[in-house]
Amino acid sequence: MPLTYPLVEQTLDNGLRVVVSIDRAVPIVAVNLWYDVGSRHEPPGLTGFAHLFEHLMFQGSRNVKSGEHFALLESAGASLNASTFFDRTNYFESLPSGGLDLALWLEADRMGYLLDAVNQENLDNQRDVVKEEKRQSYDNRPYGDSYERLVRLAFPQNHPYAHMTIGSMEDLDAASVEDVHAFFRKYYGPNNAVLSIVGDVDEEEAFQAAKRYFGHLPAIPQPPPAPDGTIGPLQGVARDDVVEDVPSDLVTMMFRLPVDGTPELDAAALALDVLAAGQSGRLNRRLVRDEQIAQSVSGGALPLIGGVSFGTLTGIASDGVDLQKVEDALLEEVEKLAADGITEDELATVQAQAERDWLEQLASCAGRADEISHHTLLFGDPNRINTRIDQLRAVTVEQVQQAATQWIRAEGRVQVTYRKNTDATESGNA
Amino acid sequence: MSSGALTTPPVVAPPRPWTFPASTTTSTRAGTPVHVFDRPGQYVATVRVTIALPLFAEPRELEGVATIMSRTLDEGTELHSANEFAAALERHGAAYGVDVSSDALHVEISVPVSQLAPAVKLLAEAVTRPAFNAADVGRHVTIRLGEINQERANAGYRARETFAAHLFDPSTRRSRPTAGTPDTIRRLTNAEVARFYRDNVGPARAQILFAGDATGVDVAGIVDDAFGDWTAQAGPALETPEPLYVVGDRIVLVDRPGSVQSQLLIGCPGPDRREDIWGAAAVANHVVGGTITSRVDTVLREEKGYTYGTRSSFTAARKGGTFSLGGAVRTEVTGAAITDALRILREARDGLTDKEVGESKDNLIRTAPLRYEQADSIAQQVGSNIAAGVPLDFADTYLAQIAATTAESATEAYRRYVGTNGLLVIVVGEAKEVRDQLTGLGDVTELS
Repeated sequence: MPLTYPLVEQTLDNGLRVVVSIDRAVPIVAVNLWYDVGSRHEPPGLTGFAHLFEHLMFQGSRNVKSGEHFALLESAGASLNASTFFDRTNYFESLPSGGLDLALWLEADRMGYLLDAVNQENLDNQRDVVKEEKRQSYDNRPYGDSYERLVRLAFPQNHPYAHMTIGSMEDLDAASVEDVHAFFRKYYGPNNAVLSIVGDVDEEEAFQAAKRYFGHLPAIPQPPPAPDGTIGPLQGVARDDVVEDVPSDLVTMMFRLPVDGTPELDAAALALDVLAAGQSGRLNRRLVRDEQIAQSVSGGALPLIGGVSFGTLTGIASDGVDLQKVEDALLEEVEKLAADGITEDELATVQAQAERDWLEQLASCAGRADEISHHTLLFGDPNRINTRIDQLRAVTVEQVQQAATQWIRAEGRVQVTYRKNTDATESGNA
Repeated sequence: MSSGALTTPPVVAPPRPWTFPASTTTSTRAGTPVHVFDRPGQYVATVRVTIALPLFAEPRELEGVATIMSRTLDEGTELHSANEFAAALERHGAAYGVDVSSDALHVEISVPVSQLAPAVKLLAEAVTRPAFNAADVGRHVTIRLGEINQERANAGYRARETFAAHLFDPSTRRSRPTAGTPDTIRRLTNAEVARFYRDNVGPARAQILFAGDATGVDVAGIVDDAFGDWTAQAGPALETPEPLYVVGDRIVLVDRPGSVQSQLLIGCPGPDRREDIWGAAAVANHVVGGTITSRVDTVLREEKGYTYGTRSSFTAARKGGTFSLGGAVRTEVTGAAITDALRILREARDGLTDKEVGESKDNLIRTAPLRYEQADSIAQQVGSNIAAGVPLDFADTYLAQIAATTAESATEAYRRYVGTNGLLVIVVGEAKEVRDQLTGLGDVTELS
C-alpha cells in the first residue's frame, strides 16, 4: 500500500522544479536543493570540483558577506549543511517555519550570484580546508583509502565513477579562479536543480516564495550530460593487496550492480542484504557467530544513476585468523547465493528491514525533503517516495537469484585487502 | 516583488511557541514506569528500556562487564538461540541496540508501529530472560578485544581515552574506558556476567519509554503484557560518588606513527545538570567553539585553513561534567593551532559580547523543535534525562535557562570552569614531527 505524503510540483519559467509537501506536525520547514552535478560530471583534470563548491557555497555571494550564510541561518534556528556524491550535490537547511523566506533568499543568492564572491583568497583558503578534510576522512584512518582503491579497479580509467568525490589534490592545486568560475557557470542554475520545501507552511505561500526569490534568475544553457557510464558486470578478478599498519586484517570486495531505479538494482541490493545486513544475515551468522573467523562483516549496495551501480562486502578477520579464510568464506557464500538463491523468509526479512529504513528516512521533514529532491531530480517523479516500499515488496526470490547470478559473482569482482605489517623491524613511515 | 534580487535578508517571522513533547505515564504490573510519547506521523516507533546502572558498580578487575552483559542480552535467551532471536526480531522489521553510559544501561528497538507487539515481546525477552551461554559471552569477549585494537588505531578515540585518563583521578571510574581494557575483559566469564546481571538488572531499576505514532495502539497494554511478569530482585542502584578531577595546565603527546594530522582535545572540568548555569554554559560554548561561526573555527578553519573543523561542548554525566574542544589539524601547524586555540579559550574569559550571546541563544532555542522531531531523538533525550536524574521534560528547563542568559551570566558560567584551574591538552599524532612544536607551550608528557 503506498504512503500518502502530499506532494505538489510546479516548474518555474526559468526551469526550476519546485515540490512542496505540507506537514503540520512540528512548526518547522525543510528547504532542500539538489543540483544535477556530482563527481561523475567532472572531466579529467577537474576532479573534486563539485565538492569544492560544497565549500565555496558557504563563503558568501553577491548580497551575502563571508560567514553570513551560516550566521543568519543559525540565528534563525537552522540546522544546515551540504553534501557531495557521485551523482549530485545537495544543499539544505531546516528551521522554524518563519524562516522560510530567509532560507530561500540565501539559496537563491548563491545560485544566481555566487561568483561575485569567489576570489583567489577564499579559493586558497577552502582548498586548504578540503585538504584537511581529505587527511581527516581518508588518509589519517585505517582503511581510509579502500573506496578510492576499489572504484579505481572496478571501473575503466576516466569512467564517471572511477574517482571519489574528494577528487585529486593535484587537480585542486592546479585550479585557477577562472576554472572554478567556468565550472559554476556550466552547472549551477535554476534549470539544473530541484527545490523541495517540506513542513509547516501554506502550499500556495511556499510556491509564491519560491517564485519571489528564484523567479528572476535566468536559466543557464543546458549543461552537458555526464558521460554515459553504462557498463555490464565485472569480468574477472582484480586485486589490490596492501600491507600497512592496520589494527586488523580486512578484505573488502566490490561488484558492479545494475543502474538505480530498476527492479534489477532493488533485487541485487536485497541479495547483498541477505548476505550482509543485520545480525541475521548469512555472513554474520556464519563468519562471526558460528565459525568466529571474523570480528565483523558488513556490506550493501550503493545505488547510482549513471548506467551502473556498485555494492560491497567486507570482513574483518578475527585476531590470529588468516584473512584468506575470511575471503574464502565470503566467496563461498557469494557463489551459494547465485547457485541456490534465497528463501521466502529471508526475502521477507530484508524487505521488512528496508521498509523500516525507508520510513525512518522519511520520518523528518529534512529527510523527506532530501528524498523528494532525489526522486524528482534523478527520476522525474517525487511520488516515488510514496511507492518505494511497494517497489521493494514486489521483488521476488527469483529476481534476487537472477540479479545475484548476473552481478554478484566470485569471478566478477574487485578486491582490496589490508594486512598488518608483520615485519618485526617495522620501518619508519616517512 | 519586482524582477530583481532582494539585496538584504528578508525578515524572519517569530517562531511558534514550542515545548518538549508531553507524555502519559502508567506502570507495569511489576511496577516499572512506562512513559508514552504519542507522536502522530512517526510511523517507526522507538521503545527504550533505561535501567539505572552506575558503572562504578563494576568490580575494578572486571571493568567492561556491564558492556559485555549488554551485548549478550540478545545473544541467546531462555527461549531462543542467538541466531533464532536475531531472525525473529529482524523478520518484524525491527532494529535492536544497546548503550552503556556511566549511569545507565539502555536497551532499545526501532520498529514500524504495525509490528510493535511482537517486537516488544522480543525486547522483553532480551532484557528479562537472557541466557548468557558461555560460548556467546566468550565470543563477545573476543570481539571486544578486536574492537580495542580498532579503537587504538583511531586518532579521535585515542584522544578521548587519553583525555579521560588525565582529567579524572584514577579513583574515578570515568578515568577508564566504559567498555573495559584487555586485562579486565580477558578474564570475564559467563558466570560473572550473569552475576552482574542478577545484581543490577530488574523491574525496580527500569523505566520504559515509547515514542511514536500511538494512534489506535494500546501501548501501555502491549508493554505491560511483555514486561508485567518481570520479577528479578535487583535492589536499588547505588548513588554515584562525585568524580575527582586532576587540574592544572599540561600537555600529553600520544605518538601515533604515520599520522598526517594531529588530533587535538583540549579541556577541563565542567558543570553538570544540577547546576543552574547548565544552560548559560551551553550558550557560552556555542559562542566559543560550538559551531562553524564560533570564535575558534573562525580562526582555525576560516582564516587559517588549519582544519576541516573543530567543535567544543560541555557534556555531563549524572555527576560531574567536562568541557572539551576537539579537532584534527595539519601536522606542520600543530603548535600554532594549539597556541591559537588556547589563546581564544582564555580570551573568552574576558567577556562574551551581547551580539554573540544573543545569536547563540536564538540558535539553541529555535533549533529545539528540530532536535526532537523524530521518535528516536525523543526517546534518546528522555533516556539520558532519566540516567542523569533530571525530569523527563528537562529540555524545557534547559531552554528556560538559556532564555534567561545574558552576556554577563554566560561569561560567568564559562569563567567558573574554562581555564580556571588549567587546561589539559591532548595531542595524538606523529611525535617526531610534533614534539618540537610544543616547546614553550607547557609541560609535556609523552606516551606511545
